[in-house]
Amino acid sequence: MRLAGAELIDSREILPGQWLQDYRAPEIVAGARAGQFVHVRTGDYSGLVLRRPFSFNTIDVASGTLSIHFRTIGRGTEWFTRLRPGDRVDMLGPLGRPFEVDPRSRHLLLVAGGLGIAGVRSLADEAIRDGRQVVLLFGGATARDVYPSSLLPDEVEYVVATDDGSVGHHGFVTELVEAYEAWADQAFACGPLPMLRSLAGLAATRRRRLGVASLGRKRGAGRPLPAGSAQARRKAFLQVSMEQNMGCAVGACLGCVVMDAKGAPQRVCREGPVFAADELEWETAWQ
Amino acid sequence: MKAKRRVVTAVTPYKRRPTVRKIKPAIAPVVRRPPIERPAAEQPSNGAGAGTAAGGGSPVGPASASRAVAMHDLRSSDAAGDQGAAVALSVDLGRGLVLENPILVASGTFGYGTEYADVVQVQRLGAICCKGTTLRPRVGNPTPRVTETPAGMLNSIGLQNPGVDAVLAKYAETWAGWKVPVIVNVAGESIADYTEVARRLDGVPGVAGIELNISCPNVGRGGLQFAIDPEAAGAVTASVRRATDLPLLVKLSPNVADIRPIARAIEDAGADALTAINTLSGIAVAPTRQRPLLGNVYGGLSGPAVKPVGLRIVYEASQAVRIPIVAIGGVTELADVLDYLAVGAVAVQVGTAIFADPTLPVRLVDQLAAECRARGLSSYASLIGTALPKKAAAPSAKGVEYRP
Ligand SMILES: Cc1cc2nc3c(=O)[nH]c(=O)nc-3n(C[C@H](O)[C@H](O)[C@H](O)COP(=O)(O)O)c2cc1C
Ligand code: FES
Repeated sequence: MRLAGAELIDSREILPGQWLQDYRAPEIVAGARAGQFVHVRTGDYSGLVLRRPFSFNTIDVASGTLSIHFRTIGRGTEWFTRLRPGDRVDMLGPLGRPFEVDPRSRHLLLVAGGLGIAGVRSLADEAIRDGRQVVLLFGGATARDVYPSSLLPDEVEYVVATDDGSVGHHGFVTELVEAYEAWADQAFACGPLPMLRSLAGLAATRRRRLGVASLGRKRGAGRPLPAGSAQARRKAFLQVSMEQNMGCAVGACLGCVVMDAKGAPQRVCREGPVFAADELEWETAWQ
Repeated sequence: MKAKRRVVTAVTPYKRRPTVRKIKPAIAPVVRRPPIERPAAEQPSNGAGAGTAAGGGSPVGPASASRAVAMHDLRSSDAAGDQGAAVALSVDLGRGLVLENPILVASGTFGYGTEYADVVQVQRLGAICCKGTTLRPRVGNPTPRVTETPAGMLNSIGLQNPGVDAVLAKYAETWAGWKVPVIVNVAGESIADYTEVARRLDGVPGVAGIELNISCPNVGRGGLQFAIDPEAAGAVTASVRRATDLPLLVKLSPNVADIRPIARAIEDAGADALTAINTLSGIAVAPTRQRPLLGNVYGGLSGPAVKPVGLRIVYEASQAVRIPIVAIGGVTELADVLDYLAVGAVAVQVGTAIFADPTLPVRLVDQLAAECRARGLSSYASLIGTALPKKAAAPSAKGVEYRP
């Protein structure tokens, strides 16, 4: 974790109300991994007292740049859209724990609901660089919300669902999972809580339904892994990137917790944001 | 009648504060003031019988230069434009709790001191108040727990913590190796809870003091907060006082009609210092407008928005008691520190501002030293209490002087 200045290089509205911004921040990018995030200070402390967390949308260590993707949902995000190239912001990062891909996984299924694309986008780059195959399932309300395929690596197989059927599958993105869950070695998801909950349900019954042996059974079988451990994630079929309102983003304020399966609160900013789906409690989720 | 205001100058001799007790009293400390249930009108803030025997106003010892234990040389390389003159920044909060400088970090905003270690020079802080600690583990409140509000934020963490034993097992050894004192913030639901936590903290290396968070519902009194009732506030303070020799700070809630009788009751019960303020009670509404936003409905407001309230409480309390006061509430820059000192605080805590600016507290230490140097002061003590009434104000019966 480092505190460093970041210079805005490029800012554009890629969809109505959705922005993509590139920043040069070599100190932050060094060592950053897909699934982690930055906590960015607005320049208006007298009004906006909290930083804003953003997932790494892309990470480019060679050029020391990163990108973030956000929707304007309030005064904080609007403040960011008014920045001009050359402006500097104060970033804290990289924060949280990354996605963990099992070295043996060849086929990765990424599932994104709406803005959740920002949470899994960088994993597509990382996986393709490592020679894995990637299918990205994307769900949006309507065609206007669909993440442009031009912003994805060519190697990614991109499948879209919309609630109103204006493009792609007419229905929920979770309905697309069935076609890929046997193919996939591991799945990674980010999006609204109901979507994650239904994916977690599918993942929990997957082995029984498909009769597939899960990865990593030989290693450490039966031994409980500490919540939030890299091994627990690497072993899991489904990893989810969680969202929660944040204060500090370093684990100090306990503002951002989710419940784990044992009823203990886990900090999204510290033990997460990426969790193995089976580590979390989904039924009576706090929200 | 003499005002009980603080006249703090570099030359004021230190007078021993009457509340300091070196040994554990077997019974509740003698209450020096008239019973607190008396109507406020009969109990002027500069009241007779308040132990103000001394002429010339009682010095708030910790701030007076003669009590500053050492001239701490703040020739730090990062102090801007620093001419290298030593400025005394140390402050004595009582019972041997001497801080190297008067900038602390507030409970709940700095975890256990380890979370920000990558980016903050933790050892340069005056002290760390750790997250609220209870006897048994607490999972805390449902989410969402935090939300931004105009110039502030609401939080309803619900005192999530692993319990005092786990906190000590996990952190005490680390703290013991630190130069920066760690003050353990203690919460409870009954006097017995508070007292037992204090007993377990007593004598543990690495624990430099206790800050009682009395803004908790008192289960024994139908959930009424300790902090709003002078009698309950005094009782919990006295009980904890008997359980430990650790320096004891008690944190005031701003959600009260008149802070002065409460502050006095706590002083009389043997607290070494007061800290103020805790958060103000508030709520936010969910974007759907179908329910309140926070999982717990109620949250505590903090940040720049609460600073005027903090100033008012410190202003009132500092004229009502003789023990030192550590100010909290909306500190975001040096001007805020100076304002709080002016209304009688001897030190300040930084809370919410840390989230946006983690290195702020350490920079404030350097800035305060630079400010003193620029003004030709060898100590910050003369900045304290400058905005308090010079003469005894007509005693207020109202507590809150606001009259629109
Ligand atoms: C997220 C959060 C958690 C807090 N937790 C505690 C706590 O456990 N105990 C306590 O006495 N005060 C707690 N506080 C109150 C702060 O210590 C402080 O009194 C208050 O925030 C006002 O100061 P500020 O405006 O500088 O934040 C908490 C505040 C925040 C924002
Ligand atoms: S945001 Fe403070 S603990 Fe996670």
